[in-house]
Amino acid sequence: MAAQVQAISGTVTDALGPIPGVHILIKGQHSGTFSDQDGRYQLTAAPSDTLVFTYLGHKTVELPVGSHTQINVQLKEDVTALQEVEVNAGYYTVKERERTGNISKVTAEEIELQPIVSPLEALQGRMAGVEIVPSGDLPGMAATIRIRGQNSLREEGNFPLYILNGVPINSAPIETGSNLSNSGIDPLNTLNLNNIESIEVLKDADATAIYGSRGANGVILITTKKGTVQKTEIEARAYSGMSTVPNRLHLLNTEQYLQIRRKAFENDGTEPTERNAYDLLVWDQDRYTDWQETFLGGTSTITDLNISASGGNATTRYRLGGSYHGQGTVYPGDSKYHKITGSLYLDHTSENKKFNLNLSVNYGVDVNHLTGSIFVTSDVFNMPPNAPPVFNGDGSLHWEGWAEAGRTNPFEGYLNSSKIAAHNFITNLGLSYRLSNKISFKTNLGYNYFNSGELSKLPKRSYNPANWDVLDHRSDHLDVYRNSWIIEPQLMYGTKLGKGTLDVLFGATVQQSENGQSGLTGTGYVSESLIGNLGAAELLENASSQNVAYRYSALFARMGFNWDRQYFINLTGRRDGSSRFGPGNRFANFGAIGGAWIFSEASFIKTGLPFLSFGKFRGSYGTTGNDQIGDYGYLDAYEATVAPEGLYPTQLSNPDYSWEVNKKLEAAVELGFLKDRIMFGASWYRNRSSNQLVGYPLPGTTGFASIQANLPATVENSGWELECSTLNFRSKDLRWETSLNISFPKNELISYPDIDQSSYANTYKVGHPLNIALLYRYDGTDPETGLYTIADVNGDGRFDYEDRVEIQDRGRQYFGGLNNAVSYKKISLQFLWQFVKQDGRMALFDAGALGIQRAVTVRALEEDSGFQRISRSVSALLAYNNVLNSTFPYTDASFLRLKTVSLGYHLPTEVLQTIGMRSCKLFITGQNLLTITGYEGMDPEMPNGTGTVFGGLRTISCGVQLNF
Amino acid sequence: MQKTRLIKTLFLLAVCASSCEDYVEVDVPDHKMVREVVFNNDETALSAMKGIYNELFRSSFSSGNVNSVTALAGLSAHEIGNLSATNLTAMEFEANQILPNNPSNHSLWSGAYNMVYMANAVLEGTTASDQLSEGVRDQLEGEAKFIRAFAYLYLVNLYGEVPLLLTTDYRTNAVPSRDTVGEVYDQIISDLNDAVALLDTDYREGERTHVNRYVAMALLARTTLYTEKWEQAENWAGQLIDGTSDHELLADLDQVFLKNSREAIWQISPIGRGNIFTNTNDGNLFISAFPSFYLAKNLADSFEDGDKRALHWVGFNEGRNEYHPFKYKDGSSTNNITEYTMVLRLAEQYLIRAEARAMQGNLTGAIDDLDRIRQRAGLPLLAETDPAISRNAFLDILMEERKKELFTEWGHRWFDLKRTGRASDVLGTNNPLWQDTDVLFPVPEEERLKNPNLGQNQGQ
Repeated sequence: MAAQVQAISGTVTDALGPIPGVHILIKGQHSGTFSDQDGRYQLTAAPSDTLVFTYLGHKTVELPVGSHTQINVQLKEDVTALQEVEVNAGYYTVKERERTGNISKVTAEEIELQPIVSPLEALQGRMAGVEIVPSGDLPGMAATIRIRGQNSLREEGNFPLYILNGVPINSAPIETGSNLSNSGIDPLNTLNLNNIESIEVLKDADATAIYGSRGANGVILITTKKGTVQKTEIEARAYSGMSTVPNRLHLLNTEQYLQIRRKAFENDGTEPTERNAYDLLVWDQDRYTDWQETFLGGTSTITDLNISASGGNATTRYRLGGSYHGQGTVYPGDSKYHKITGSLYLDHTSENKKFNLNLSVNYGVDVNHLTGSIFVTSDVFNMPPNAPPVFNGDGSLHWEGWAEAGRTNPFEGYLNSSKIAAHNFITNLGLSYRLSNKISFKTNLGYNYFNSGELSKLPKRSYNPANWDVLDHRSDHLDVYRNSWIIEPQLMYGTKLGKGTLDVLFGATVQQSENGQSGLTGTGYVSESLIGNLGAAELLENASSQNVAYRYSALFARMGFNWDRQYFINLTGRRDGSSRFGPGNRFANFGAIGGAWIFSEASFIKTGLPFLSFGKFRGSYGTTGNDQIGDYGYLDAYEATVAPEGLYPTQLSNPDYSWEVNKKLEAAVELGFLKDRIMFGASWYRNRSSNQLVGYPLPGTTGFASIQANLPATVENSGWELECSTLNFRSKDLRWETSLNISFPKNELISYPDIDQSSYANTYKVGHPLNIALLYRYDGTDPETGLYTIADVNGDGRFDYEDRVEIQDRGRQYFGGLNNAVSYKKISLQFLWQFVKQDGRMALFDAGALGIQRAVTVRALEEDSGFQRISRSVSALLAYNNVLNSTFPYTDASFLRLKTVSLGYHLPTEVLQTIGMRSCKLFITGQNLLTITGYEGMDPEMPNGTGTVFGGLRTISCGVQLNF
Repeated sequence: MQKTRLIKTLFLLAVCASSCEDYVEVDVPDHKMVREVVFNNDETALSAMKGIYNELFRSSFSSGNVNSVTALAGLSAHEIGNLSATNLTAMEFEANQILPNNPSNHSLWSGAYNMVYMANAVLEGTTASDQLSEGVRDQLEGEAKFIRAFAYLYLVNLYGEVPLLLTTDYRTNAVPSRDTVGEVYDQIISDLNDAVALLDTDYREGERTHVNRYVAMALLARTTLYTEKWEQAENWAGQLIDGTSDHELLADLDQVFLKNSREAIWQISPIGRGNIFTNTNDGNLFISAFPSFYLAKNLADSFEDGDKRALHWVGFNEGRNEYHPFKYKDGSSTNNITEYTMVLRLAEQYLIRAEARAMQGNLTGAIDDLDRIRQRAGLPLLAETDPAISRNAFLDILMEERKKELFTEWGHRWFDLKRTGRASDVLGTNNPLWQDTDVLFPVPEEERLKNPNLGQNQGQ
């Protein structure tokens, strides 16, 4: 019955020569192949099949196989084909050209070679409206991600929804007791960056409303790679690299530091004592240690290996992949991050093409070994330069010099270690059946099991020997699990109505999650080598355990209609129920309308504006919600005290809180000029988030710091996003493309009735962004005392919040990325610049304090330095404390950063074919190579603290990719 | 055919949706207990009270740790000094220049109000429940009222006018303005009187960490002394001194701060910490390997020759060349608990009665009481050295005696200086920044930021 299958080969070219990467597909099937570097391809097909040749920017060609075994094709450039790319919208796909919503996409080529742990980091600078800020420099830390700004007053209420192959992944960072506890652990760490086919970010109402209550902060869809080729292919890739801390602060040297310190006592007319000036009286006056070099001067290495095999036949295809990623940290000690992943994709279509099954399995294990249980950077930038050693020659902690000063080594605890091992299993099974040409039924079954086990070892030798008589070897254990399944049956209907096309989708979601964690401390191990083995612990204590259930259900629908592929309308709706809310508040409805008009199809445009190759107006309006709030907040509940027998209330309860509602409005225009060689897009958006669901901060008089509640406040995020891509040059050998994205976000608290009567009265201001600091007005130094002064605005003789009238915007004024891709013959070069316009704060200017300060403070020794008179008097301390909360330490912190560079070279195919290799690519990539900024802190990407924290490391890596 | 299938499928989806109402209902998780259930039986209701006793050790205000009344009021009264050159928040207390945004001050305030909340929660839970036995109900009400009064006594003395909150309703508790000192005291006295009426005289489980009638009386004695109701103060202190044989002044000063010592009226157990360390926080602050504070030299020097308290309760660190409080002998340990944090003890009751008697003109009785303390300290008795002493001279000696007896215990010195109007004389002499209004800690700015109705006191 099956027709005779035959081998077919050929070359694909266009006017300029052979084209690599043309997708050749057998019509009606998922199987196919890509052309190689020289435009050649091979596949097997039956004479009755039709081959479809598609390539970006070219007209699609369909050719019946017939009796041919060699099919050479010349593709023609096409003005509109660039827009034929399918974009994943979650429950359905749309063509780039025809989408009514705002969806940004990055593809494998742009991200797969980057030496990073979490896929999110790869999005930095690549998408308009997507702001990703790292939390620090340790591998595994969760970054902050904001899509179109902060909607919720709660920091933790701003995570987008992550969906991997249809399975929602809890986006809240994973709890940890380790050094990563500030940020938590990124739940996407265990994914293999190389296994990602594309990441789509859904932003506006049209795109996100189908996710209803969880779409308010945008949706990130991650799609893993599928096998698309018919014949068996193996791809192997390896790279390794080195990372360093890209920046240093300019700090005082010992001589300057001690001079300033002495000056403080001289100015105050007091005698230094061993208690308040051990750096002057006890410690070596000539010693100098560059503590930055000691702690941040190291180099960490990265190794990454990837292998995948794919193949299949006319009805079945598969892809198997595996990877290893390992990297260290720059800090002393043996911190090490390892990740091993495995993935499977399987797709089968029945011979009558009615039934389809696809299965994706992603399994990742990562093990993060972390040294120390302290935040190194806060101490590194506090150490006097003449402080005694921190470590002895053998790596143990040094105590003597510190003891002389009556202190303990600030790096006490550095010999602790923690090991976090996480397993993440994400699988999705999609079953679909085509009932007729018009109706098909599909069910997605998803399951996610995440488990992380954390063991921290706290050996005695990590602590001061003076305390050893009361210290035991100790271990802290923390286990976290997240377990979730989802079932989504869907019914799809599509039909033609005259020149119109109608697509209808109707579906339901049932989801259940259980999250939990349990912790334990073991003490009294007789030997350091036994730490962690609870059987060897003398005492188990601090046991904690909690299990949280979350249930969610929804009905959703989408109707898309277009007339003549020129007018488009898209309606989406969802009814959601969530267990996070109290009885009576669990359900809500969300919906959106989107429309588009491709006006370049209109004849008057075609004749009147011939240079305009594409033009589209697009708009949408709708509502989404947000249920990202702790579970059980409606319960008035007690929990066990850490000590035996007791119960105590741990939270205030509010039975009445309900969904946060986010109304999104968007208008956009997309234009293509000169046969789409220049594409331009501009979106204007306005998201209004109301009924704000917050952990409403309460004064301590209530007994607690906050309560879950809805606020009458409305937060507006609006802005412009501009995207432009140009094909600057194209010839047979040389191709140069540039793309630019820039976002001008504006965040504003637009209304909050009676804010004066609320606990936000002195935190937020109506008419201003949420991310503000209310500051004292700096008033110069007092000519008499020489101390900093701030304005007593209300003249009541004291300084408090009523005097903090200066409003400092701590957000970004604009940001974006500029990407260039150049290829010349076999060489390709890609580089991405990231830029941000913002203000930042810089501390470490307390000249005279015990502890290192910035080098510029040496000026304080002179008159009129701009710094206050060097002093340690109480008045001076208070003045410094106040000026830190004034406009004084704020400066411009804009930056321009060469975020990634990658250079690749394809070895000539002729040579490779003799050894059976299809292609071989050598590549070298660089991350954070260059930052141009006027900001004096470690990293302008993290400008709101004291200037001592930093995110991305400078990494250079090189590797090879082989295809067989 | 197709249509029927479509309809069937739609029907299935609809069924799913209609069952969703139940589907999104989740059970109470196993680490939580709903409040009504807690107060549904005696055992768990008593656990809620036990929870307060446990949390007293962790709440910064009562913990005896760096942000406790003992530490912060001790710094302010110059009983103790700050050993860390970089601890700016402690320096502000030491210099009596506390900025409203001082985080220790906020922690102190919030800790006390957290205790108020817990006490109010127990009171509301007890009232709402009809499942509790009569005895347990009375006991819980009495103990909770005591805790509330206890927290307010410190709040009103530290901050002056403070909001008086008697419910757990956050809507009212979030926006209160300050109540007058008199109103707060009225509530404290009313709560303590209720506690006296409701509570038994024995210590539950034999532990002096539990509040009984005498504990409430002891705090009443102090409260009436602070409010200058001399007759009542004399009477309440007398109940402790003469009305019971449960308490006595211990001759051996090294025994006083041991757990369940017979001098103790009320203590807080380090068991509340919930981990292996079994020492008190007070001990850790003063005598661990890296203590936070030292004992002021002029306090250490003020002891007369032969004062046993200087020998037993004051230590000297050679390496650091500083004195340190040595009432607690256990600064860090993981063995059995030997000491509890002392909150109320009998010696204070003698000093209260001595002062109350003196203020009422009964100098003989006053000398008699004061001499009990002097006798134990191994000092010559006033009855022998100066039986005809004037009242004012007596009060001066009494204040000195309170200083030496009660140092580094719950800020006694600070409150004594404040209530007797001696603060400016004692603390202002060597401090050019001192102002008379510095006797109040400022209302924390964090609180005023969140509660627009909360006014500032003069202590800023």
